[in-house]
Amino acid sequence: MTMGSALREVLRVLFGSRLGLAGFSILLAFSLVAVFADLLAPYDPYEIVGLPYTPPSDRFPLGTNDIGQDILSEFIYGSRVSLYVGLTAPLIASVLGTLLGLLSGYLGGLVDEVVVGAVDVMLALPSLPLIIILAAYLGPSLNNIVLILAFFGWSGFARVVRAQVLSLRERPYVEAARAAGASGLRIMFRHILPHVVPLIIANLVLSATSAILAEAGLSFLGLGDPTVKSWGQMLRRAQAGHALDQGLLLWVFVPGLGIALLGTGFTLLGIAIEERVNPRLRFSRR
Amino acid sequence: MKTFLARRALTSLVTFIAVITVVFLLARATGDPLAELENDPRISPATIAAIKAAFGLDKPLHQQYLSYLANLFRGDLGYSLHYKEPVAEVIARKLPYTLALLVPSITLSNYLAYAVGIEVGWRRGSRFDSIFMSVSMFVRSTPYFWLAIVFLYVFSVVLGVTPLFGAVTPGRRFEWSLDWLLDYLWHYALPFTVLTFRGFLSELIYVRNVAVDVLGEDFVTTAVARGLPEKYVKRRYVARNAMLPIVTVLGMRYAFIIDGAILTETVFSYPGTGRLVYEAIFNRDFWLLQGAVVVLAASVIIVNLVIDLLYAYLDPRVRYR
Repeated sequence: MTMGSALREVLRVLFGSRLGLAGFSILLAFSLVAVFADLLAPYDPYEIVGLPYTPPSDRFPLGTNDIGQDILSEFIYGSRVSLYVGLTAPLIASVLGTLLGLLSGYLGGLVDEVVVGAVDVMLALPSLPLIIILAAYLGPSLNNIVLILAFFGWSGFARVVRAQVLSLRERPYVEAARAAGASGLRIMFRHILPHVVPLIIANLVLSATSAILAEAGLSFLGLGDPTVKSWGQMLRRAQAGHALDQGLLLWVFVPGLGIALLGTGFTLLGIAIEERVNPRLRFSRR
Repeated sequence: MKTFLARRALTSLVTFIAVITVVFLLARATGDPLAELENDPRISPATIAAIKAAFGLDKPLHQQYLSYLANLFRGDLGYSLHYKEPVAEVIARKLPYTLALLVPSITLSNYLAYAVGIEVGWRRGSRFDSIFMSVSMFVRSTPYFWLAIVFLYVFSVVLGVTPLFGAVTPGRRFEWSLDWLLDYLWHYALPFTVLTFRGFLSELIYVRNVAVDVLGEDFVTTAVARGLPEKYVKRRYVARNAMLPIVTVLGMRYAFIIDGAILTETVFSYPGTGRLVYEAIFNRDFWLLQGAVVVLAASVIIVNLVIDLLYAYLDPRVRYR
């Protein structure tokens, strides 16, 4: 695939369907907020700028939290954490899963047996309880959470990639490459991988939502990184500080809505890509 | 069927042993389970040594692992330092609340997702489809606990029709009476609704995609071309063939609903096994945390096994694979 055709394909996904465009717009908006957080946020989210539990006003559009930090600034900076977790955890998982899927599908034999067995076990493992155990023992750190989520995410990628490789490796062009003397590595990475990439990207985007939700859930249970201002941490503070009793509804509603909207953005874009890759799912009229 | 059953049961056992091994290794690799006691100046080193000997913590790792396995299969999950009683007893007391919440909720949400999902898939590309898809994508992206807080706020705080927390009115003891049952159901309504609502809408998108997939099959086109009534095609051709892939996903959905149980029970202070996980983290009660995780994991594995057997029963091809 050349650069030009790849670009055309991306544009087709984004503008070819209303879903993809909607998802892309949501993600773009949040990314801009995250990149320009320093300019957009009225205050430093860590600085105590007002009295605790100040109701929303012109000075503090969403009010202040239990120790007097500006909630809007917390929310704006929080977008960075959610995007970071949503992108890094699936990315690491996809690299790991793709490598194992390629090896397993292409080499077959014992390697395949081991990988398939591991995938079966991983898919049957109940992830949140184990993630909770891991996070509880490893200690609260954002990067620990990312690594744990990646560790529990690779199996889905491995399965998808392996299935694709199994069908691709029998294609005539792969046989031709082999006959021409291409090495196994070259065939895997040069001839097979490019055809699997769109599928990996669709999966990557779709699993961002679950990574974001898992970080929020862990934070809410008290296993997140307390030094990082994520939306999950904001919700934990809001709940612990009895935000609803204090009448600070926005303190609870806004971070949750942020998570839900960002997740919807990733899902919309992921589905648009998936429909492009797998035309049978396309939103067509009968 | 017998070999299939045996093979499938073996995989489940291996998965379960994988879970408990991971839990064991984590527990031993990353911390001393008695750290809390060692920091307590009132407890002498001699007492700690005695406790270590009593729990076998002074033995080499592989022996600890074997006795841990042996204890587990005997139903001994260790001792809760917070509740001051065996972990198995604490969990046995809480598990009925969780099961009574999860089983009806999964059943209803699956049924709704199946019934509505086929209909949405049938009308793919329509406004009806877009609305359901967008709502479904949004709801499945909301954090469970946030949805629970929003429901709690609307129904318990603003409308005041449901209680704020608990499974029964505080102080009330269990008895076989209509009064107790009504009190229980009154507390049950909201957590049940949150789990079912989110479960239904999260699965909807999946059922819809499967239905759309089946609708693309030639046999459906043929059925429509033959002029069969729409309702007949939908029920006998689409719904029936969509059932198989949907059944496989139910197992995975169950794992997700465990996540939901942990978070939802925490928000509603519902006295189930999910809330126990939160309490155990909060109290640093590691044996209880391990025990609750092992029990929840076992339930996921058992449900997956049952679903696979159901699948093999529904689709004979699977058995001969």
